[in-house]
Amino acid sequence: MKGQWKRFLLLRGVELAALVLLAAVPLAITNPFALALLTLLAIYGILLIGLDVTVGYLGQVNLGHAAFLGIGAYCAGLTVAILGWGMPAALAAGFAICLALGALLALPALRLEGPQFALATLSFSALTTTVINEWESLTQGAQGLQVARPPVLGVALAAPGFYWLCLGLLALVWMAMRNLLGSRWGRAFEALRDSPIATDAMGVGTYRHKVIAFALGSSLGGLAGGLYAFNFQYLQPQSFTYELMVILLLGVVLGGRKSLWGAFVGAALIVLLPNLLSNRLLFQIFSAIGLGLAVFAAGRGLAKKTTKPFQALAPVVATGLLLVGSLLVANTEDWRKAIFALTLFSVVVGLPEGLMGFAAAALTKVFRIASAPLPDAAQLESVLPARAAGGEPLLELHQLMRHFGGVHAVDGVSMTVSAGHIHGLIGPNGSGKSTAVNVISGLYAPSGGEMRLRGKPLPVGSLFKVAGCGIARTFQNLQLFGELSAIDNVMVALKDVFHTPVPLVMLGLAFNEERQARAAALTLLQLVGLGARARVRAKDLTYGAQRFLEIARALARKPELLILDEPAAGLAQPDVAELVKIIRRVHELGVTIVLIEHHMDVVAELCDVVTVLDGGKVIAEGPAHVVKRDPKVIEAYLGAVATEVAQ
Amino acid sequence: MDFSVIAQMVVSGAFMGLIYALVAYGFQLTYATSKSINFGQGELVMVSAFFCLTLTNLGLPYWLMVPGGLLFGAVMGLVVERTAVRLALEQQSEGWILLTIILGLLFFSSAENIWGRDDRPFPTPISADPMQIFGVDITPLEISVAVGVFAIMGLIELFKRKTLLGKAFEAVSADRDAAELMGISATGTVMLSYALSGMVATVAGILVSPITTVGPTMASALILKAFSVAVVAGLDSGFGIVVVGLVLGALESLASFYIGSGWREAPGLVLLILALALRPTGIFGKAVIRKV
Repeated sequence: MKGQWKRFLLLRGVELAALVLLAAVPLAITNPFALALLTLLAIYGILLIGLDVTVGYLGQVNLGHAAFLGIGAYCAGLTVAILGWGMPAALAAGFAICLALGALLALPALRLEGPQFALATLSFSALTTTVINEWESLTQGAQGLQVARPPVLGVALAAPGFYWLCLGLLALVWMAMRNLLGSRWGRAFEALRDSPIATDAMGVGTYRHKVIAFALGSSLGGLAGGLYAFNFQYLQPQSFTYELMVILLLGVVLGGRKSLWGAFVGAALIVLLPNLLSNRLLFQIFSAIGLGLAVFAAGRGLAKKTTKPFQALAPVVATGLLLVGSLLVANTEDWRKAIFALTLFSVVVGLPEGLMGFAAAALTKVFRIASAPLPDAAQLESVLPARAAGGEPLLELHQLMRHFGGVHAVDGVSMTVSAGHIHGLIGPNGSGKSTAVNVISGLYAPSGGEMRLRGKPLPVGSLFKVAGCGIARTFQNLQLFGELSAIDNVMVALKDVFHTPVPLVMLGLAFNEERQARAAALTLLQLVGLGARARVRAKDLTYGAQRFLEIARALARKPELLILDEPAAGLAQPDVAELVKIIRRVHELGVTIVLIEHHMDVVAELCDVVTVLDGGKVIAEGPAHVVKRDPKVIEAYLGAVATEVAQ
Repeated sequence: MDFSVIAQMVVSGAFMGLIYALVAYGFQLTYATSKSINFGQGELVMVSAFFCLTLTNLGLPYWLMVPGGLLFGAVMGLVVERTAVRLALEQQSEGWILLTIILGLLFFSSAENIWGRDDRPFPTPISADPMQIFGVDITPLEISVAVGVFAIMGLIELFKRKTLLGKAFEAVSADRDAAELMGISATGTVMLSYALSGMVATVAGILVSPITTVGPTMASALILKAFSVAVVAGLDSGFGIVVVGLVLGALESLASFYIGSGWREAPGLVLLILALALRPTGIFGKAVIRKV
C-alpha cells in the first residue's frame, strides 16, 4: 500500500508541480519573449500529444499532422474574421473540423499499413497546402491572413491571459489523454499496431479504433492550430509544409513515443530550436554533448555486445558530423534541415525510445517506483460462467468451399460440431484444416457452402462479426500483441466489462471497471498458469507461455466455441502435458472446442469426435480410435503402400 | 476549346509522365526485393542531376558524364540502403520510412548549400527545337525522354530475365526465405536493387533536367507524382506504371492549363488518395492474400 502511495505521489505530484510552476511564471517574469516561448510550448505540447496517438500508439508514420495544424488555424481564423465568432467557438470549430476531416481521411487510410499510410497522409498534406494557397478568395493565398485575437467571454486577453488559456487547455488535454490512453482505448490502439488480425478476431474492431485514434490525434492538431492562429495573429500557407512535419516528428521521436512527458519534452525542443540554431556557441555545446553521449552509449553498447556495430557507430558519425559542421559552416541557419536530419537520424537509430523512454526507465530505478499493484483475481465462475452443453448441434458446415485461384484448399467440407464436445480436426499438411478455420472465423470469405451457428447463418468474411457471435480462436502462427503485457493482452479481448462512455473515460471515471477487468484477466491468466507472469511483455514470454497466453486471450471473449489452431505446435513435452490439462479445464466449463492438431496422442486423449481432412475434403469422421484405423486415413498420412502393409 | 491545344497539352504532359513512371520504377525495384521504398528518391534524382551538372561544367562530354552520373547514382543508392534501410529491415520494423525521409532531407539541405537554391539550366546536346507531327509540337528532347525511359527500363528487365544475378533478384522478390535457403544472399540482392534504383534516379535526373532545369525543389515536385504513379498502378506492375504515368502526366498538364498552374499537383494527389481508398494494391497490382 505504501509503494502505491509513493507511486501516486511521484507521478501525479510531478505533473501538478510542473503545472503550478508553469502557471506561476507570468507572475514572476514579465519578459515578453520568455512568455511567448512558453505559450508556444503549451501549443506545441497539445499538437505533439495528438501526433503521438498515431505515431506512438498506432505506430504509423503520420505525415499529415502539420496539415491539420494548418486547417485548424485557418478554420479558427476564418470563423473569427468572417463569421465574427468568439474565441471558444472558433477553437471548437478548428477542433471539430479536424476531427471530421481526420475521420474522413482515416476511412480510406484505415486499410493501409506502413508506407501506404505514410503516402496517404503525405498526399493529404500536399493537397491541403495547395488548397490553402490557391483558394485566395477565402484564405488570401500566399499573401497571408491577418487574424485578430477575439475576446474570451467578453474579456480581451493580453499575453499572460492567453498563455494561461493555452496552459489550461494543455492540462485538460493531458488529463483526458492520460485517462483515455491508459484505458481500453489505448490498449486497443496498441493492439491494432501489433496485430490487426488478432484485434479483429478478438472482437475489438480495427476499423473504428483506427478511425477514432486518427481522428482524435488530428482534432488535437486542429485545437493547437486554433491557438496557433490567435497566438501569431498572422497565417501563411507555407508555415504548414513538409519541413514543419519533419520538425514535429523530430519532437515526438526525440521526446519519446507513447509518453505525455515525451511530447512535452519534444515540444520544448521544437520551441527552443530556432534559438539553438541562431546561437552558434550554444549549438556547438549541444552537438558536443550529443557526440559525447553517442560515444558513451556506443562504447557501453559495444562492450556489453547489446548493440550492433551499425547501431552504435551511426549515431557517433551523425553527431560527429553535427559537431564538425557547427565548427566549419559559415551560417548554421542555412544548414537547418541537415541539422534536423542528422539529429533525428541519431535519435531514431541510437535512442529509439526517445529521451523520456530512457529517462523513465532510469527514474523508475532511481526512485524505486513500484508498478501499479494487481488486484486479487476474480472468481473463475464470474469470469467464465459454466455453460450447460447437451450435445445439440452447435456449428454446422455444409459443403463449405474456399478456392484460391485453381487451388481448392477447402472443397466441400460438411461437418457438425456438437455443443460440449471437443471436436478434433486433423489431416496431413495442406489438407485444408487451417483454411477451413480461417473461413469459419471470418478471415476468408467462403467460395461456396453454408455455415450455421445454433441454426443461424454465420457472418462471412469478417473476423470482427464472427467474434461477436461467440466464436474465439487462437492462431497457428502466434498473433499476440507483442508490446503489451500478458495481462493487457487478455484485457484487450475481455468482453462484457467495459461500458463507460468515452467522455467519462477521459474524466478518469473508468477506474472501477478497469479494476474489475484486471481481476478477471488475472483469473484467466491463472487458468493457463501464467498468473505470476502477468506483467511480462508478451514478446518476452517463452514460446510455450505465448501459446497459453493466446488461449487465455481467446477465453476472455467468453466464447461458446473455441477454435484452437495447432496449439501444441512446437511445444516441448512438459508444455504439451500442461496444454492437455488446460484444454480439459476449459472443456469442463462447458466451452465447445474445435482442436486442430498434429499430435495424435493429444487428439486421441481429448477429442470426442475427429474429422479427418485430405485435399480439402472430409475423408473420415468418428471417435479417434476408429478413425486411426481407417485405411483412407492411413493412406492420406502414409501413402497407399502403407495401407497394404497395415492390412 | 481548340482541339490542337488539348492535343498539345496531352502530348507534352505525357512525356513528363514518363519521367514520373521512371522514378516510380525506382520504387518498384526496391519494393520487389525488400518491400521498402526510398521516400527520399526525389532528392536522389535532384542530387544526381546536380552531380551530372557539375561533371558537365568540369568539361566532361555528355557521353562520359552519363556513366559518371550512373556510378554516382548507384553509390548513393547503396548509401541509402546501408544507412536507412538495412537496420530497419533486420528489425522487421517500418523505421525505414522515417529514415529514408531523414536521409532525403539531408541530401536536400546539402544540395541547397553546395549548389545553391536557384534553378539552373542543364546543358544537353539534344535539340529543343520543336517538330510538327500531326499538328502537335514535339521536341527531340521529349523524344529523348521516351527513348531513355524505355531503354533503361528495358535493359533492367532484360538483366532480370537473362542473367544469373538478375534471376537471383527475381528469386528474392518471389520468396526471400526460399531464395536464401538456395544460397542467394538476400542482403546482397537488396543492395543490388537499391543500386539499380539509384541509377534509375540518375537517368530520370539527366532526362528531366534539360526540360525543367535543376534545382532543390525539383525533388518534391517529382516525388509526389512518382508516388501517385506507383500507388495507382500498383507497386509490382512495370507495364502499369508506364500507362498510369502517361495518363497522369497528361491530366496534370490539362489541370494546370484549365484550372490554374497552382492546381497542377491536385489530380495526382486526388488519384493517389482514391486509389489507396478503393484499391490499395493498385489498378494493375495483384491482390495479396493474408496468411496467418
